[in-house]
Amino acid sequence: MLLSRLRRITFFDFALVLGFTALAAFMSLPIIFILNHAFKPTNELFLFPPRFFVQNPTFSNFEQLFLHATNATVPFSRYVFNSVVVVTMTLVSVIVVSTMAAYVLAKYRFHFKQIILSMITLSLMFAPETVGIPRYLIISGIHLNNTYLGHVLPALASPIAVFMLVGFISQIPNELLEAAKIDGASHVGIFARIVLPLSVPAIATISIFTFQGVWGDVETSTLFMQDETMRTLAFYVNSLLSGLQNSVAAQNVAAAAGLLMFIPNLIIFLLFQRKVLETMIHSGIK
Amino acid sequence: MTTQTKQRRKQALLHRTGSYGKGLLFMLPWLIGFCAFVVIPIGWSIFMSFNKVKIVPGGFKYEWLGLQNFRDAFLKDNNFPVDLITYFQEMLLMVPIIVIFALMISLMLNQRFPGRFIYRALFFLPVIFATGQVLSELFVQGAGEVPFIQQYNLETIVDQYVGPELAKTVMNVLEKVILILWYSGVQILIFIAGFQTISPTIYEAVRIDGASPWDSFWKITLPASIPFISLNVLYTIIDLFTFPQNPILKYIKENMIKVDTGYGYASAMAWIYFGFIFILIAVVLWLFERTMRTRRGRS
Repeated sequence: MLLSRLRRITFFDFALVLGFTALAAFMSLPIIFILNHAFKPTNELFLFPPRFFVQNPTFSNFEQLFLHATNATVPFSRYVFNSVVVVTMTLVSVIVVSTMAAYVLAKYRFHFKQIILSMITLSLMFAPETVGIPRYLIISGIHLNNTYLGHVLPALASPIAVFMLVGFISQIPNELLEAAKIDGASHVGIFARIVLPLSVPAIATISIFTFQGVWGDVETSTLFMQDETMRTLAFYVNSLLSGLQNSVAAQNVAAAAGLLMFIPNLIIFLLFQRKVLETMIHSGIK
Repeated sequence: MTTQTKQRRKQALLHRTGSYGKGLLFMLPWLIGFCAFVVIPIGWSIFMSFNKVKIVPGGFKYEWLGLQNFRDAFLKDNNFPVDLITYFQEMLLMVPIIVIFALMISLMLNQRFPGRFIYRALFFLPVIFATGQVLSELFVQGAGEVPFIQQYNLETIVDQYVGPELAKTVMNVLEKVILILWYSGVQILIFIAGFQTISPTIYEAVRIDGASPWDSFWKITLPASIPFISLNVLYTIIDLFTFPQNPILKYIKENMIKVDTGYGYASAMAWIYFGFIFILIAVVLWLFERTMRTRRGRS
């Protein structure tokens, strides 16, 4: 059985798999690098030429990171707590708000719908970095400085999330919604009982994207938060990194912090990846 | 009779405005957020680009300049036009490379071979990490560079063969090989999804007619995937130009906090930059529209 299956693998298959393995290995080099880098002792961090793999792995980088943080005015755990709170709040609200918007955009007719759709497409092209100051003025105008809402609200109206969800939700057959309506479901009922469960793959995708964005975002912490206790982990790591591109002192702390920022991304991705591949294939194209 | 129809019409109208209203109600939370944090800031930055924005105690002071900021960006600034042109050159080279690379990889991934699902996931994986923090961290640590460029002294070779004018651009692209690989995940996926829309019976038919796989690629796969190529080109352009690490956006951000130039000037530069991107996208769209039309005309 196994032998016959093995025999069916042609030379072409073999070459293809070999080529792809090489390419995939090449692509995962940076990930392997960042993993190894975090466990290198100080003398290996400055080896020249730099090595990929760690020779004597230690946890001292992480110890130093936590020590470094406890010496500072704000404890490390506070940054972690802030990040977790902000990410959870943003994820939940982005999912609810964007799905609601995408549902009506995909399935209903109402005023200004075309204008809204074209504005979404246009704003995809706009880099948010360039509008930092007007955003700051609005945030301070409604007194959201140094609150968690100040972190959450700017990420709330995400054009990308709605863009992807509209493509996905419009594929839900209209007959299904009509049947529910005839059975006496209200708008909210249809949304909560039918649209939400059916668009779980798309929601998984946007949660990954939103998570990536919010977890790594430093803009809200830099611009809207003046109180150090309200800033997030990403800001802390960034402030560690920015000061020492050429310095020797805290390279090891930076390496450990880099890995720490990276691990949650990996976990979230592994949890949702199959769903993501499904949505990417469904949305936007057909 | 007439009163009845009138009443019915009135009811229908009421019903329609009711459902319209409900639709808008569902949109409302998102719409408020979108207006407050996307539309108004963008509009504000247009307004600011026509002004000199001065920071005074207690707020901003605007001084109307008209088009002066835009003129300065081209005539007075020593860095901006040069940076803009080199960056566009680089991107014009990068976009086709990324799209063609993605096309080749997805063609191969579309073959049947053991474990292809794992490979699809692997090629998509970098997209997830290629955001913000992790990426900039990688670049700081130098993992985005390819060591063989220095090892084999490629720079002089490129200089000899391409000529000194383009050498810098080509070198920049070469240095970003890993970035190209990393940026093709979504494109590969779009292509693979696109290939599924071509029905396998066509391939069978041409095989019976004696076409080689090479012919069937040029005559069937490629023409059928033109819409997906155009989608990918657009996606790549937008992706690359809004990439936060790019030199133009960095320069614009630097200028925002400078005292002598300020936010007004930075906004003007941002709008010039977006103007160029819009032109590029319009040209790409027009080209693809034309090829599609000639195809349709011929068949």
